[in-house]
Amino acid sequence: MNQAELLDQFVTEARECLEAIGTRLLEVERDPANAGLLNDLFRSVHTLKGNCGLFEFKALERVVHAGEDLLDRVRNGTLPYSSALADALLDAMDYTARLVDQIEAEGRIDASAEAQSQQHAAALRALLGEAQAAAAAAPAAPTVAAAAAAAAEPPAWIERLPAAARQAPEGAVAVHYRPEPDCFFKGEDPWRLACTTPGLLAMDVGTQEAWPAGEALAAWDCYRCNLDIVLLSSADLGALQAHFRCVPEQVAFAGGPFDATAAAPAASDPGEDRVRERAAALWAEQLALLSRGGANPGTVAAVRRVLGHLAPWVLDAAAAAALEALPPSAGAAELLAWAQGQLVALAAAPADMADTAPEAARAAETTAAGGARVLKVGQEKIDRLMDLIGEMVVAKNGLPYLAQRAEQVFQQRELAREIKAQYTVINRIAEDMQHAIMQVRMLPVGAVFQRFGRLVRDISRKLGKEVQLQIEGEETEADKSVIEALADPLIHILRNSLDHGIETPERRRAAGKPAAGTIRIVARQESDRVLIEISDDGAGIDAQRVRDKAVERGLIPADRAAGLSDADAVQLIFLPGFSTAERISDLSGRGVGMDVVRTAVERINGTVTLASQAGRGTTIGISLPLSMAVTNVMIIESAGRRFGVPMDLIVETVRVHRDDIHQFKQARTTVLRGRIVPLRGLNELLALDAEPLLNAEGETAVLVVRIGSQPVGLLVDQFHGASDIILKPLEGVLAGLTGFAGTALMGDGSVLMVLNPKELLT
Amino acid sequence: MSIRYLKKHAALEGNVSVEDAETLSQWLQQQAAPAVHLGKCEHLHAAVLQVLLALRPRVKVPPSDPWLAQVLR
Repeated sequence: MNQAELLDQFVTEARECLEAIGTRLLEVERDPANAGLLNDLFRSVHTLKGNCGLFEFKALERVVHAGEDLLDRVRNGTLPYSSALADALLDAMDYTARLVDQIEAEGRIDASAEAQSQQHAAALRALLGEAQAAAAAAPAAPTVAAAAAAAAEPPAWIERLPAAARQAPEGAVAVHYRPEPDCFFKGEDPWRLACTTPGLLAMDVGTQEAWPAGEALAAWDCYRCNLDIVLLSSADLGALQAHFRCVPEQVAFAGGPFDATAAAPAASDPGEDRVRERAAALWAEQLALLSRGGANPGTVAAVRRVLGHLAPWVLDAAAAAALEALPPSAGAAELLAWAQGQLVALAAAPADMADTAPEAARAAETTAAGGARVLKVGQEKIDRLMDLIGEMVVAKNGLPYLAQRAEQVFQQRELAREIKAQYTVINRIAEDMQHAIMQVRMLPVGAVFQRFGRLVRDISRKLGKEVQLQIEGEETEADKSVIEALADPLIHILRNSLDHGIETPERRRAAGKPAAGTIRIVARQESDRVLIEISDDGAGIDAQRVRDKAVERGLIPADRAAGLSDADAVQLIFLPGFSTAERISDLSGRGVGMDVVRTAVERINGTVTLASQAGRGTTIGISLPLSMAVTNVMIIESAGRRFGVPMDLIVETVRVHRDDIHQFKQARTTVLRGRIVPLRGLNELLALDAEPLLNAEGETAVLVVRIGSQPVGLLVDQFHGASDIILKPLEGVLAGLTGFAGTALMGDGSVLMVLNPKELLT
Repeated sequence: MSIRYLKKHAALEGNVSVEDAETLSQWLQQQAAPAVHLGKCEHLHAAVLQVLLALRPRVKVPPSDPWLAQVLR
């Protein structure tokens, strides 16, 4: 998954969060005393903030963080919920939604959003009534001052900018960007970075060393970056720093004025002039088209689109925005009036905004092209489709029987052959359909794991810890709903591991561990469940501290806490509102983490287990149902009934002679490849009153399965080969049935019970 | 979309990625009178840009991107 897909996912999720927050805010306003609603609201905001942290959207994160702080106080009861508070939160939420829209359209947040974001954050913090918070909300001031001091003496590289550009308006910033030689190998594109600089006014590209010539050229490595770029930008320093944030050590900034003597206005580029001329001509053509009268709505819409694209060239970016703002129902006359009004205004104003044009044009294009992308379909519709396909498969499998009947009962060989031919066609289509719907629903768990690399790296850096992330089994597939529900809990667990689990390098060395901690995420499928294990080799959980904190926070009475074993005590961290952190950081410590994890996992019928050894690390296991997956099973027969056994558990199928089975009291064993394998009769286990059948040679069929790491042989009557089935978990009255993983509908309409050997044997 | 190597010039089209830099560099060095067509080029990677800057082929048709055009002039 690349960055763009990740961003798309972020936008979708952020929208969902905002939607939830919006409805919750209103519900809480109606019923401010409801702690459950408040908790829910807080959780949504917390998740949104966590997602923002994945990307460098400072403006967004700042507002959400402020909102979260505010809600935290409300939740704790130290701040009463008021309508003023709700107003501020809803305002901030609308602003956040706008930012998310912008992120979707442009993939980043405009520098201009910064100031507004600070305003919103300050408004929220004002409600908190904290003086120091206001100070924290305006960190931009000192950096600008520092830059101003640096600008006292313009550095030599400024000379490389064209003289005309150097007498740029007050407040322009010059940037000297020297990409490091091996930057291409880091996936950087310095040219793109330079071209997309906000408010770019002028640019000069030079070299760090002279270009090679003659003989040296053959040996020249074009993948060693030798560029040296000087830029002039009208954007403010903060925005530029944000733009070059990935390469801070390779850029130098300098503020103006750069050249006091230059006087003449900048001569504009002849190429750009030509573009502008052409654009003006096109503009005039469009107006002529409009003024012809009797234009149909389609023409008006087309003209409007064209004007939208031309506006940045002919007029300026603001005009393009104004055009966007016109009501979509605007008729030809209104559009014409607007366009003519713009031209009059243009004649009066000097045309100096051209530099922002290409960017604005690009933005306009993306907005115009943005249409339907993702089709959101309700889960139940897909489920219905899946059920229908299941029925279709069963119905289709009835055709071979029909062909057989045609041939044997009605003596119609010709017809039988035709039916069979038809059957193969229908079969192919049905299989494709089934596959397609499966594809809709199944996702590899790697889809969620993908974003963890960045998360772990960023957080561990922020905390000054060294952490390695190991991921195994990312190809394990699970139902889409399961995978999606998994993302948030996993992020919370990782954050907890990073913040509380892994120690600082010094402490790790002191404890005799390698300085770099390891977090392992392992995913695998085990019969009808997906197991995901997140383990770290950090400090583990201090059971005593958990007890103390739980009592302190009033989550459990002191006497009950004292009576808990260490293993039980660590489970207390799943209680809502539990947190051991002494102070609130932006990582964790708000007491939502593990509570959210458990709620989220249990919602999809999963379970969470936690094991921790003080000083050795913590392992969290998440077991999730596969609600629907193609499972490869082996079909066996015992006492005249057929059963399925999940293929991944089967080690081998063998036939063992009666004489090779050793019986000791109730226990039967045999020796396979030099190992003693315990044998159990399937009939016995299922309470079927029949002895295992022997074949003509006096051999019995043994299905060797793996339980944990131990092989166990199951005595059965017959093997019937493998089959791909759709495993449906047992539901309703059957839900309590142990020993079975689920059922599957077979082609001939019969129901196959699929065994869960692990439950059966332990 | 990347580079089409024609008889008399190389046509850089669409988004020219970093992988194309080396091939372009070699192609340009083999040509007696190297020339490039940038009319349909939307963006080129910095590595490709520096190949163009180092080898200075004749620009048959300048790119539409004003910044790129300015740098290559």
